[in-house]
Amino acid sequence: MKEDEKWQALLAISTPTFAGETTPPYGFMTRTLARLKTEKRQQELIEKIGLRAFLASLAVLGLSICLTLCLHFTNQGDLEPGMNGFIQVENVQVS
Amino acid sequence: MDQPIDVPACLQRWKEGDENAAEELIRYLYPVISKIVRLHLPRRDDEEDLIQEILMKTFSRLHQYKGDAPMSHWVSRLALTTCLDRLRAQKVRPEIRWADLTPEETTMFDAAWLSGSTKDAGDAIQARDLVDKILSTLSGEDRSLILMVDLEGQALQEIADLTGWSVSKIKMRLFRIRTQLRKMIDNIEERP
Repeated sequence: MKEDEKWQALLAISTPTFAGETTPPYGFMTRTLARLKTEKRQQELIEKIGLRAFLASLAVLGLSICLTLCLHFTNQGDLEPGMNGFIQVENVQVS
Repeated sequence: MDQPIDVPACLQRWKEGDENAAEELIRYLYPVISKIVRLHLPRRDDEEDLIQEILMKTFSRLHQYKGDAPMSHWVSRLALTTCLDRLRAQKVRPEIRWADLTPEETTMFDAAWLSGSTKDAGDAIQARDLVDKILSTLSGEDRSLILMVDLEGQALQEIADLTGWSVSKIKMRLFRIRTQLRKMIDNIEERP
């Protein structure tokens, strides 16, 4: 068909404009390496912050577990938390 | 492409913090990415920015590269996906007519019909403008597909491997694109 031939002819004429570059243009390497360096530094910083946040949350978790266990063992005789204190104050007989 | 480099050794050096390795990798990958970007992106978009973006993506995903295929293939796929994403965001022109062409483009339209090919650089640019205008009536994926087949002469299986589409899907798409292209060229031919 003549439309196909026309399309192919146009493509054939424009072919050189589709060829890629073999070497980076002036300044491209410097800019790209600088950006790469910045992004790597940011990535390392994010990883460091993430690790610190993780360690901090682990510490908080550990602390809360310790607190819970301590309370559990100190109030073991309680009927309910705080009840021991109430019994002592009101002198209630528990048998 | 420049001299082949020892990719695994280069990657190892980059992991160890050697910046020269990054430079070697960029020089090696630049022609591969440039070729894809030039083919799959309209000329008015900033090529250099996109090449840089693809390189950044490459470096940030280096841990995903297993080394079972050549690095240039892996990067080609990444570059093509990035270009297609960019093309998807672009508007598709509903149609193109004789009145939409510049005087130079109308001359080129007739000259292409008569001569078929030329070695003149100016003509190549005029023809490219016209090709870009016609391609702007296609979706991004269709535009890339027709160029891979008609300009690069890539095999359907090769395109399937690169894009992840099935061969039958590619064939159906090509048929539809060719019909659309014929209609567009016919539209232009109907000059006032």
